[in-house]
Amino acid sequence: MKDYKLEVWVTTICFIIVAITGGFFSSFVVILNEVFYNQVPTPEALVAFYGENMFVVKENLFVMGFPLHYFLLIMFSWIGVTIVGAIWCLVMDRLEERQKA
Amino acid sequence: MEPRGEVFVLGLVLSIIVLVISVMISVWARRFTRNLGDYYVAGRSIGAVNNGLAMVSLALSLTTFIGLTALIIEGVYIAVAVYASFTAAFIGLMILAAPYLRRHKSFTTMAFISERYGSKSLRYMSVVVMMVVSVLYLAGNLKGIGIVFYFLLGVPEVVGIVVGGLVVTLYVTLGGMYGVTYNQTFQTIVLLFCLMFPVAIVLRTLGTSGWFFPPLGYGDMVPDMISFVPHYFWAMLEHPITYIAIFLGSFFGIIGLPHFVMRFFTVRDAREARWSTVICVFLVGLVNTTVYATGFAAVYFMQTSAGVDLTPAAYDYMVFILVEALAGEGWLALAVAGSVAAGLSTVSGLLMIMGAGLIHDLYGEMKPEVDDEKKLKLSYLAMFLVGVFVILFSLNPPEFILKAIMWSFGIAAAGLGVPIVLGIWWKRTNKYGVGAGMVVGSLIGFLGWIMIDYMGMNPVDIPFPFFAKYLYGPMGWIKVTVLAVTFSFILTIVVSWLTPPPPKELQRQVDEMHGWPDYDERRYNSKGLPISILVVCVFLLWFMTTLYDVFPK
Repeated sequence: MKDYKLEVWVTTICFIIVAITGGFFSSFVVILNEVFYNQVPTPEALVAFYGENMFVVKENLFVMGFPLHYFLLIMFSWIGVTIVGAIWCLVMDRLEERQKA
Repeated sequence: MEPRGEVFVLGLVLSIIVLVISVMISVWARRFTRNLGDYYVAGRSIGAVNNGLAMVSLALSLTTFIGLTALIIEGVYIAVAVYASFTAAFIGLMILAAPYLRRHKSFTTMAFISERYGSKSLRYMSVVVMMVVSVLYLAGNLKGIGIVFYFLLGVPEVVGIVVGGLVVTLYVTLGGMYGVTYNQTFQTIVLLFCLMFPVAIVLRTLGTSGWFFPPLGYGDMVPDMISFVPHYFWAMLEHPITYIAIFLGSFFGIIGLPHFVMRFFTVRDAREARWSTVICVFLVGLVNTTVYATGFAAVYFMQTSAGVDLTPAAYDYMVFILVEALAGEGWLALAVAGSVAAGLSTVSGLLMIMGAGLIHDLYGEMKPEVDDEKKLKLSYLAMFLVGVFVILFSLNPPEFILKAIMWSFGIAAAGLGVPIVLGIWWKRTNKYGVGAGMVVGSLIGFLGWIMIDYMGMNPVDIPFPFFAKYLYGPMGWIKVTVLAVTFSFILTIVVSWLTPPPPKELQRQVDEMHGWPDYDERRYNSKGLPISILVVCVFLLWFMTTLYDVFPK
């Protein structure tokens, strides 16, 4: 049961990380989006949707040419999930070897 | 965009070269096909790199060239969200299903569902669901090939559909899964080359510092995008349930789409299945970020270039418009050839699964006494007939590419994705639960498509009890996926619990799929997983009905 628990827990943790950061979180709030935009979704803000000063982007939050939140989006939804996937593969490779032994 | 008045010779020549090479690869690969296993799953001999590349070409259908860029230009942030989630979904597919499906030794998704739950009825039902999602997915792609021929090469659309359709039917019929796999690998290489290089040249012409690597060039363009479209990155213009719908559709849809899953039945073992997905997700992410860059470059181009006045209808062709305007006709010819390759690869995978579904899962189940040799001959015939049917259907499809594909993801998630995931991770799932969840889940998705997309009804007016009024907002119809997937999960779990557990020999399959040499009753049998899923599903249904006054209708 020790190996079984390892498989289930590693899989659960990896799936949650990928689902939240890569699949859901990055596509939903783009990682603390409101912090960088100084805005929350209120009806008043939506009325101002077509206004001029609704989006106040903080300066100096760029990483490698990307705004920080976008850098994080790419990191999580692409590079991040690739790395998480590779780590999961390595753990499962080792588990498979133990199962065969 | 106006169609070209004259034939674009260079583009046509490169496209024909792609078509000819595709057929040649299949003729070459035919020598490997000796039995039914070779024909449908390439003798389970494909390595991780080969399979990973083949999966990339399946993932990057013609929407990569036509559709996505338009969605980025028009769709505000949600377009990026769809593809960010789609990229990550491959790892979800790997973690939840890929290696376990490989160990099950089935040929198709439908066979897996039937054998795991011990039910012939489920096999027939899943064949029906497979046909619906495949036709939705496929017709748009073949139609897209016709449009590429018409608008970009100056060749009539019908000729494009018929020629493209016949070529792909020919090479799938001839080469079987070996031909499809090697072709998809070739097409991925063509696609990567023909997209990355022209876009890099476009970015260089626009003066981006990271032009040599489009994802970096895309980062460079973000500040410009914010200045041109200030609200672009504000994700909260949509009810959060929209993003949850995208997540559910992507993660469970990709598990449910049989032509993706079928790739895992072709690899040598579970390890190759895992690593091929990692290769695939890296390359898919690379291409998707390149397409984001193209979308941003298009907005920049339209905002800064004098005299450029494009109609929304032309946004679909922005990749080609940009390449022609900023890189030249030589690069345009490459991009056109790449788009043809992208369309062919997806069509071939779908034809393969449709043929396998009809012969292996339907005919083979009804006539078990028929030997493999006869089934192989019938497979050739079925594959050819399916190809001809799809060509005829594509001449006048109900919907074009991206929207149809998004609907097919939702239907596949509810109808096939949920039974696969629960079948792998919860022994107590039985055929009654799966039957209920599959029927209700896929019907919700299918009826949603019929009413909203096919009949053109307003999403908030469709007769979905109680929930319809919450389908408001830009692309609000995506929320139907939440209903379909959550109802599928809830019904599958609740009905399975209320009916007798599956026999031990079926439960034993779960341990075998996970690689255990022995059987242990306690494995994959806890109540924690189903209860957690039920709680999440009920929460999502409740959440969908909240914040009604906050977001734009």
